[in-house]
Amino acid sequence: MRGDTLMPLTMVPVGVQVRLVDIRSGQKLSHRLAELGLTPGIEITVVQDAGGPILVAVRDSRLALGRGMAHKLIVTPIHQETSPSKQSL
Amino acid sequence: MNKNAVYIALAGNPNAGKSTIFNALTGSRQHVGNWPGKTVEKKEGIFKYKGGEVKITDLPGTYSLSAYSPEEQIARDFIVKEKPDLVINVVDAANLERNLYLTAQILETGTPLILVMNMSDVAESRGYKIDEGKLSEFLGDVPVVRTVASKGIGLNQLKEKVVAFVEKGATPSSHSVEYDQDIEKEIDTLSAAIAEIPELTNIYQPRWLAVRLIEGEQDLVNEVKQTPGTKHLLDASSQSHEKLHRIYGDDLDVAIADGRYGFVHGVVTSALKRSIEQRLTTSDKIDKVTTNKWLGIPIFLALMYLVFNLVQNVSAPYLDWVDGLFSGPITNWTVFLLNAAGSPKWFTSLLTDGIIAGVGGVLVFVPGLLVMYFSLAFLEDSGYLARAAFVMDKSMSALGLHGKSFIPMILSFGCNVPGIYATRTIENRSARTLTGLLIPFMSCSARLPVYILFGMAFFPSHAGTVIWGMYVIGVLVAIVVGLILSRTVFKNTERGAFVMELPPYRMPTFKGLIIHMWEHTSGFVRKAGTVIVAVTVVIWFLLSMPWGVENPHNSYFGQVSDAIAPVFAPAGFGKWEASGSLIAGFIAKEVVVSTMAQVYVGEGAAGGPSEPTTFLQDVRDIVVGFGDATVSATKELLEVFTPGITIFPAKENEDRQTALSRALQNAFTPLAAFAFLIFVLLYVPCVATVAAQAQEFGWQWAAFSVGLNMTVAWVLAILVYQGGRLLGLG
Repeated sequence: MRGDTLMPLTMVPVGVQVRLVDIRSGQKLSHRLAELGLTPGIEITVVQDAGGPILVAVRDSRLALGRGMAHKLIVTPIHQETSPSKQSL
Repeated sequence: MNKNAVYIALAGNPNAGKSTIFNALTGSRQHVGNWPGKTVEKKEGIFKYKGGEVKITDLPGTYSLSAYSPEEQIARDFIVKEKPDLVINVVDAANLERNLYLTAQILETGTPLILVMNMSDVAESRGYKIDEGKLSEFLGDVPVVRTVASKGIGLNQLKEKVVAFVEKGATPSSHSVEYDQDIEKEIDTLSAAIAEIPELTNIYQPRWLAVRLIEGEQDLVNEVKQTPGTKHLLDASSQSHEKLHRIYGDDLDVAIADGRYGFVHGVVTSALKRSIEQRLTTSDKIDKVTTNKWLGIPIFLALMYLVFNLVQNVSAPYLDWVDGLFSGPITNWTVFLLNAAGSPKWFTSLLTDGIIAGVGGVLVFVPGLLVMYFSLAFLEDSGYLARAAFVMDKSMSALGLHGKSFIPMILSFGCNVPGIYATRTIENRSARTLTGLLIPFMSCSARLPVYILFGMAFFPSHAGTVIWGMYVIGVLVAIVVGLILSRTVFKNTERGAFVMELPPYRMPTFKGLIIHMWEHTSGFVRKAGTVIVAVTVVIWFLLSMPWGVENPHNSYFGQVSDAIAPVFAPAGFGKWEASGSLIAGFIAKEVVVSTMAQVYVGEGAAGGPSEPTTFLQDVRDIVVGFGDATVSATKELLEVFTPGITIFPAKENEDRQTALSRALQNAFTPLAAFAFLIFVLLYVPCVATVAAQAQEFGWQWAAFSVGLNMTVAWVLAILVYQGGRLLGLG
């Protein structure tokens, strides 16, 4: 995993911590997710990937996200993050 | 402050332990109703203390006050429009940041609040040190109480704080969320415009409404549009939106949510110290197994199998006892007393053959229902039900639904009506409707009595498997129907977004489970006391008309049932008694068994062998019988939890034959009985479910659902019977 990569949450292995960059979905859904704590810049850890939905840890809560939606959450690996060069997916 | 007029609201996230706090404050002084015009439950209670009493309203559990769901709208409107004097905000101390988001929104309304940090023991076990003083200070001198409501810790301090508030009053917190400068500028502009419109300031705080308008909350925007004299404000609002759009693009509302989280994060950073960096909690470790790709579904099925076995094993011993109680002493003593009072024969018959036989036939199943509701409450309160939804999400996607649709379906095993209402958590309209159409195939507890009765009469050694099988068949049929509907009627449906919190696992409190169990079972018993008595009485009359009819077959009821009976002939139960009880069952499935009791045994029960017994003898038999039943239920219970090990060797074949099952054995072949069970499982559950569907999805869908259920039930019952005959089973 390269440091400056942007990737959908569905590609993140279990146990890895990432930072939320963007939610590429409708306005209503983005707001809903933001209210549940998924605001841009927040740290997310993938706790379980059951092949279908994904279970993530965010701000001390555990959220189940459908796979389709998890695909719309664009994240970046946390440790080596430097200048987020706009790399296409 | 006028002590009598104090009004308190209880708010908090789902799973923060709000209802435990509510129960602790109000005790049994509660009233459960509905919010006006909504089907969301409204709980009110009275908090009593030395100097007087205060009314408390329990708001629905919500993550925010943004009016995305009916629950959120109710909570928001109550706080803003009803203006309670105080909000008691219950937060989960182990999940402070997310919980304080709602707190930030409540602070914005300007309502005084008391913060209850519940489950502080969990927070401590995770190494979280929370400085109450700092928390209070950074929220603007809000009183903070630390509790572990499930263990009763901190409740007295909470009560003291509430009393202190009632007696001395409090000023609203001075602290509130500050947004980005650009947003704040627009808030100021709009607040000023709002302040000039008395129609709005009568209800709303200018700043609060300004934030909400910028956030773009649709129902409030519409309300402002309908208020006269708001043109200036609306113009200003669209200008603000234009300006802010240039900065934030489509993410303006996200920026506002982010602003609240910024405020909350500041509070949490200063008040909470994490001494251990713990990545995986105990709850996560359990989830590694229960939500595992391969283990998740088998674990779920095994748990459900355990539940239904429990229901069956615990019900059985009590069945005889309750049955004996009704057909024996209660009937005998009623007859004796009525005769002594000189009651006419028809009245005695109405009371014993009609009401006692009918209601007794249903109350017999109360022990089973208690176990059923206890188990469902356990699954829900422990947090497992949310995991079941997670695990099932992938399978549900084949039906065009997602995991959230699964929770209403499981709840429907208790009763379909709350299941229909629970579909509200599904945001997508057509996904909701499809879920609502599949719910009637989930076997509710009212159908259970029929399975138990037939299971024990026709398949005594496999009754548990037959009952479990009925639930499985219901689910399988729902899957097939769902597959067909999602590819035809709901072809272009998007399944919508699946987001759901998985609360940490916790051991449910025994008291909470008992309250849940009792609420649901007593609802059933109340129904037995009203609808079932009414239907039973009507059927008794129809069975006795034309007046003086000797053979019930010639009664009105018999004639109508007889006319319909041929429809069921290909399914093997084309007798008037069977079709008659199915017609009655349309009102409520509970009535199927009671009607059968009336048409098959009715006369027999009252005229049966009632040897002269003394009152004392009866009482002794009742008590001894209850004791025996409890002993065997306990034995069965232990056996369920120790599969494969026989702790108590089976007694020689107990005779569990009731008068009704003997009558049924004469009327049905085992194959016809099975086809009958299939029909009972799949046809329209009850009038109440249809009404709930009409209310939630409209009359067309309710009618569609009725047609769907009747067709599927009829076709499958025939297939089972005819197929079975071809295989030589009949």
